[in-house]
Amino acid sequence: MDGRTWITLTAAGLAMGMLIFLVASGLTLIFGLMDVLNFAHGALFSWGAYAGFAAAVALNRWWGWGDAPSAGLNALLLLAALAVAIVASGVLGVILERVIVRPVYGQHMFQILITLGATIVLEELLRIVWGPNDQVMPVPSTFQGSWDVADVIVLRFPIVAIVLGVIVYGAMTLVLRATRVGLIVRAGVENGEMVQVLGHDIHRYFTGVFAAGSALAGLGGVMWAVFGQSVRPTMGGEQLIFAFIVVIIGGLGSVTGSLVGALLVGLSYNHVAFLVPKAAIGVTMALMVVVLLLRPAGLFGEGK
Amino acid sequence: MTAPPRGPVPTPVQAARAAARRRRWREPEPWLRAACVALVAVVPLAVPSFQITDLAIKIAIFAALVASYDVLLGFTGIVSFGHAMFFGFGAYAVALGVGKTGTTGYGALLAGFALGAVVALTISLVISAFSLRVKAIFFAMITLAFAEFALILAVQWSAFTGGEDGLSPKLPGVFAVGWSGRFLGVPLTGRLVTYYVVLALCVALFALMSRFVRSPLGRTLQAIRDNALRAEALGVRTFVFQTIAAAFASVVASLLGGGYAMWVRYVNPESALGIPIMLDILLMVIIGGIGTLWGGIVGATVLLSAQTLLPGLRTLGARVFAGSDLAQRLTERWLLYFGILFVLVVFFFPKGVLGTLRHRARRS
Repeated sequence: MDGRTWITLTAAGLAMGMLIFLVASGLTLIFGLMDVLNFAHGALFSWGAYAGFAAAVALNRWWGWGDAPSAGLNALLLLAALAVAIVASGVLGVILERVIVRPVYGQHMFQILITLGATIVLEELLRIVWGPNDQVMPVPSTFQGSWDVADVIVLRFPIVAIVLGVIVYGAMTLVLRATRVGLIVRAGVENGEMVQVLGHDIHRYFTGVFAAGSALAGLGGVMWAVFGQSVRPTMGGEQLIFAFIVVIIGGLGSVTGSLVGALLVGLSYNHVAFLVPKAAIGVTMALMVVVLLLRPAGLFGEGK
Repeated sequence: MTAPPRGPVPTPVQAARAAARRRRWREPEPWLRAACVALVAVVPLAVPSFQITDLAIKIAIFAALVASYDVLLGFTGIVSFGHAMFFGFGAYAVALGVGKTGTTGYGALLAGFALGAVVALTISLVISAFSLRVKAIFFAMITLAFAEFALILAVQWSAFTGGEDGLSPKLPGVFAVGWSGRFLGVPLTGRLVTYYVVLALCVALFALMSRFVRSPLGRTLQAIRDNALRAEALGVRTFVFQTIAAAFASVVASLLGGGYAMWVRYVNPESALGIPIMLDILLMVIIGGIGTLWGGIVGATVLLSAQTLLPGLRTLGARVFAGSDLAQRLTERWLLYFGILFVLVVFFFPKGVLGTLRHRARRS
C-alpha cells in the first residue's frame, strides 16, 4: 500500500463523486429549491442515458465517429450524445411538470405517489422501446484506457467527468447567484405570490427550473452510461437512491452541499471498497447516518 | 321544580359515541367486512383448486399488509418505501427460525415471529430517529435507502440468507406438508391448518389496526397528519407519535411477513423484500383508497386477481398480435398499464375505490 495507490483511489473517488453530483445537482434544483419530491428523476436519468445511447449508436453506424481514431470526432460523438440526452430529458421534464406535477405543488404525499407512477410508466416504456436487457454503450477509444502520470494511473474518462462536473457546478452557482433569472427563481421559492404580483410568470420559471433539473439528470445518465459502458432500464432507480442520499447529506437546496456530499460519497465508497470490499455498500448509509446525527439539516442546510 | 336525573349524566362526547355505537350495526360496512372474512374462510372447503385457495389467502395477507401501510400513509401522513422490507424481515425471521435452528418445534416458529418483530421494531425506531426528527419527508428517502441496503444484504450474505435462492423452511407439527388429521370429523391437512392459522393472524391484526386508528392515539395521529404545526402548538409531541405509528406499522408488517413465509414455505429476496412488492403495496393502497384501512381488501383483490389472470392475457395477446413485435411487447409489459392506472387513480380518484364509495354514501 503506497502513495500512488492512494492517489489512484482518490482520483477514482473524485470522478465517481462528480458523476453522482451530476445526477444530484438536478435533484437539488427540483427538490431543494422547488420543494418538489420528484421520484421520476431516476426515470429521467434513464431516458437521458437511452437517448444518448441511441444517438451514439446512430452516429457510430452512419459516420463511424466512435470508432474513428480521431480524438475530435470522438469528442463530437460524446457531445452529440450529451446534447441529445439534455434535449430529450428536458422535454420530458417539461411534459412531466406541465401534466402531472403542476396540480400537486405543495402536496408532498401526492408528489411522491404521482411521480412514482410516472416512473413506472417511463421505465416500462424504455423496456418496450429498447428491450428489458442491458445494452453495450459505444465508448469512443479516446475516452477508454488511462494516462500514466508519474507512475500514477489516471483513467481518461473520469477526468472528463470531473471537468464536466466542475463546469456544471460553476454554471449553476453563477446562474442562481449572479443573474436576474436566478434571483427571480430564488425569490419565487421564498414567496411565489409576491413575485407574481411584481409581474413575473412564476409558473414559467418553475417549468424552466424543472426542465433544467431534468436535463441535468439526462446529462448524468449519459455520463454514467459511458462510465459503466452499458445502459439498462433500472439504472435510474439505483442512481436515484445515491442522489437522494447526497441531497440529504448536503442539505436541501444547497448546490455546494450536494457537490460536497457527492464527493464525500464517491471518495468514501472507493476507499472503503478497496480496503474492506464487503463494507462498501454500507459506507454510504453510514455516512448519511453520521451526518444526520451531527447536523440534522445536512452539511450546508439552513434548518427547518 | 324538576327532579335531578338519576344516575350519571352522559357528556356530549359520550352521548355521541353511544349513538355511533348504536348506528354501527345498521351501516353496511361491518357486514361487508364479515362477509369478506367468511368468504375467504369458506374458499378452501368449497373450491378444490389450489390456485384459488392460494389467491384467497394471499389476498388476505396483502389486504392486511396494505392496511398496515395505510396506518402510516393514510392515518399518519408518512410515506415509507421500506414497508416491504419489514414484511421481508418477518418472512426471513420465520424462515430462519424454523430452518436454521435445527429444532422444528412450535417454539422455533414463535421465536421466528418474535425475532422478526424485534428486528422490525429496532430498525423502524432507528429510521424514525434519523428522519422524522428533521422532516417527515426524509422518511421516504431513508426508508428507500434502507430497503435497498436490506435487499443487497439479503442477496450478498448468502451463507445466512440463502442469497438469490432464498430459504425453504420446513414447518413443525400440524403445519408440516405431510401432516393430516381430523378435527370434529373433518379431515385436515397441514396446508389447511396453515391456511386457517394465517387467516386468523390476518383477521386479528386487522382488528388490532382498526382499534389502533380509532384510539385516542390514532386520533392524535390524524390531527398531526392534517396540520402538524397546529398539533405541535397544542402540545402534541409529533415526533414521538409518528415514531410510534411507524413502529406499530412495521411490527404488523413483519408479523404478516411471517404468515406469508408460513403459507408460501419459501422466502427469497425477490418475493419478500424487493421493490416490486413495495410497488404492489402502493398500487393496492391507491386503488383501495388512502386512509380507509379496509380499502386494502379491494386493492389486494383487484391487483392479485389481475396478476393471476395475466399469463392468460399474455398468451391471448401473443395470439392476437402474432405478427407485430411492438404490439407483443406492449401486451407483455403489463406493469405499464398499472402505472398508467396508478397515475389516473391518483389524479381523478384520490380517495380510491372504497374512499369514493364512502364519500358517496355519506352524501346521499
